[in-house]
Amino acid sequence: MRNTLHPALTITASIIFIILIAPLFIILGAAVSDTNYLTFPPQGFTMRWFSNIFEISAFRTTAITSLQIAFFGTFLALLIGIPAAYALNRFRIRLPSWLSNVFVLPILVPEIVLGFSLMKSVTIGLNLPVFTTLLLGHALLVLPYAVRVVGASLASFDFSIEEAAISLGCPPLKAFLTVVLPNISAGVIAAFILAFITSINDVSISLFLTGPGISTLPIQILAHMEQFFDPTIASVSVLLMLLTVGVMAIVEATLGLTFLTK
Amino acid sequence: MTVSLTLDHITAHYGSTQVLEDLSLAIKAGELVSLLGSSGCGKTTTLRLVAGFLEPTSGTIQLGERDLTRLAAHKRDIGLVFQNYALFPHLSVRDNVAFGLKQRGLGGTERTAKANAMLERVGLSSFADRMPAALSGGQKQRVALARALVIEPPLLMFDEPLSNLDAKLRVDMRVEIRRLQRANGTTSLYVTHDQEEAFSISDRVAIMNAGRIMQLDRPEVLYQRPANSFVARFVGFENLIGMTVTARDGETVTAVTQAGATLKLSQSVFGAIPDRFVLAARPDGLAVSREGEGIPVTLGIRTYLGRAYQYQCTTPAGDYLGNGPLTELLDPGTAAVLTPVPEQCCILPSDA
Amino acid sequence: MIKRLSPWILAGPASLLVLVFLILPVGSTLIATFTDAKGWAAPYAAFFNSGFRRTVLYRTIEISLITTIISVVLGFIAAYVVAQMPARLKSIMIIAAVFPLLTGVVVRSFAWLILLGKNGILNTALLSVGFISEPISMLYTEGAVIAAMVYLFVPLMILTLAGVLEGIPKDVVEAATSLGATPFAVFRQVILPLAMPGLIVGAVLVFTGSFTSYATPQLLGGERQMMMGTLLYQRAMVTFDWTGASTVAAIMVVVTILIVVLMTRLARRLNPMAG
Repeated sequence: MRNTLHPALTITASIIFIILIAPLFIILGAAVSDTNYLTFPPQGFTMRWFSNIFEISAFRTTAITSLQIAFFGTFLALLIGIPAAYALNRFRIRLPSWLSNVFVLPILVPEIVLGFSLMKSVTIGLNLPVFTTLLLGHALLVLPYAVRVVGASLASFDFSIEEAAISLGCPPLKAFLTVVLPNISAGVIAAFILAFITSINDVSISLFLTGPGISTLPIQILAHMEQFFDPTIASVSVLLMLLTVGVMAIVEATLGLTFLTK
Repeated sequence: MTVSLTLDHITAHYGSTQVLEDLSLAIKAGELVSLLGSSGCGKTTTLRLVAGFLEPTSGTIQLGERDLTRLAAHKRDIGLVFQNYALFPHLSVRDNVAFGLKQRGLGGTERTAKANAMLERVGLSSFADRMPAALSGGQKQRVALARALVIEPPLLMFDEPLSNLDAKLRVDMRVEIRRLQRANGTTSLYVTHDQEEAFSISDRVAIMNAGRIMQLDRPEVLYQRPANSFVARFVGFENLIGMTVTARDGETVTAVTQAGATLKLSQSVFGAIPDRFVLAARPDGLAVSREGEGIPVTLGIRTYLGRAYQYQCTTPAGDYLGNGPLTELLDPGTAAVLTPVPEQCCILPSDA
Repeated sequence: MIKRLSPWILAGPASLLVLVFLILPVGSTLIATFTDAKGWAAPYAAFFNSGFRRTVLYRTIEISLITTIISVVLGFIAAYVVAQMPARLKSIMIIAAVFPLLTGVVVRSFAWLILLGKNGILNTALLSVGFISEPISMLYTEGAVIAAMVYLFVPLMILTLAGVLEGIPKDVVEAATSLGATPFAVFRQVILPLAMPGLIVGAVLVFTGSFTSYATPQLLGGERQMMMGTLLYQRAMVTFDWTGASTVAAIMVVVTILIVVLMTRLARRLNPMAG
């Protein structure tokens, strides 16, 4: 699609993009302000709010929990999601058509409702440990990425290649691991990245699934903000944005950023 | 009302690359002219310049009395038929055809009536309410044609309109296009890379290369009397033999090839022959025989063509293709001679 | 036998996870709202009889609608420009949209806390030009919540629509132009209808996302601008009224699913590719 652009459109779009990015720079400014309150433009320059993060043990422990949950939750989702995606694509005629809709449910059901229900039925009802429920909740949250993103890769995969491997004497599991998996690796990487970042940033599910001694970083940030309005949060946010930069660098290196517009 | 299209000294660039070099072209009122050439020769650029999707660096484009050069594309009033049909996927066949009428402010009933009449003419009346996705390639192209014709444009342009159709349909459609174009007497510019298509459909054909028109003429002339080596090679003169005149005796000219073979040519057949020239011949313009007067060659691979045998012929100055009669079977490695068949050859100015 | 069951064995664990940890818990939350001792509809009666909770529902719908409309308009303009840009500029713009999208909701909402706060940049700017004489309170207003939500969802809209607009073939636009359509007519009669299904999908994402959000209304709306998400949390974790919380959850689920089902059906009907 190409059409002539009216200058007013170009200017409006430029303003939109500036407003998209500007607030993130404002956080950066606020994080180095030598004041006890949040302000922009920064007054003075200090790194003490960054060192302050490491003095508050809650940030350290919740960050570790968040990383653990994101990593293992994503891993679990991929472990069960990839076989499901494979089955849905490979045996489309033999599985009922509603089955693929089941894996849309975690997107369809509001996260906060899922979090609340998990707390009620699983943490309290089944008396499962908080960490386990949190892990399962996050695995559930990111399962659609595993099934759908990997599924999109599988949809364009030519299964006759797998059959060729099997006809040459390769056992099915080995054929999957050595022939199918390498050919859908882009989908798996994309699913991992999207799932990981979604899990790290999640608030609504974790909200109900934190217990004594166990919380995630976004929940800790929210809790901290209710009591303090100092630049510590800004510096934590800067670190989280650095994580985003890192993720984008990984995406660019492995898949290319244009992948995200698809 | 039929008008002429004139492109005068057009130069065009994509960024800093020149794609058209001082191109001039005049299409007479009611005439169908094809631009023929391989991809990148500038034929599509020329069409897009006339359509208004590109602007020339210099030069003017004139349609009848109107100067189109800097006119906005939507004000040019040109019927355009695209390679990929470019039907509006969200509109029914009838609404696709009526689209241009709607832009011209025609009322609903008049639009429908005109669109229906046009669909009748292209034989798609029963498909008026279908969506484009439910049509075959040939039907889509008929809709595209109807959509371009219904606005009764003074100029029709076709951008490789048949290249996505299968061979049989291509022949049918090109007859159809010619019929509708003739019936309306609409001045037309047709872009294609298919020689047969261009020659069969056009009043005149412009063969293009590297942003320039190499020759613009009637298909018959192009086919039999190419003006230069590029056009000659393009229309199938596979043998281009560089020669130098050594003696002139009345109408008879004696010339030698680079390998020293001597030929006698008559100016009463070929017209005036310059001192240095290229003898251009299709394979059936070079007769292969065991002995006689001509260019001595060594025969290579022989292929059977049905009406003749074709031989690969090697000489010190280069390889040629010649045809030999079915009555005489010659084996690879045999020494033979190539004799030009005057009616099947032509004389071109030397490239150097 | 194994061969016949293998699809189920492969899809089994994932299906089981959804069944046990989503369908059953959420189902039990929904059922809980119909098994109240005071009658099956009592929790809903309680919800709609409470002026406060009704206001929260209306406010949530209002904020979500306004957010959706603004996001669609801004997202469309930005995506339209992105689609026409040369490759280099385009990728810079895509990065500018993806970066906030990958940054968490908390961080992005927090940015608006700094922007709109008493010592925030907006107050500072207004004070310095003499527009106001003392800092005004912009936080905990509907406007603050909408601003932050639009900020949250515009990148999503841009990426969705940029993909859709890029998918519109160039020659269809050129065909319309050659038939005499003005740039506005091309937009109105060709681009907009072809983008409509994608636009609806994007709008649904924004609306349901706003309708069920928690962090943004919590940070920028506070108690004063309570929305369904914050109300659910407050019912469940502050007043421990689980039936009340479940009722809020049920209304959220019903509205979300209704919107998604109706709008996808509409988008499918508007899909030009359908015969």
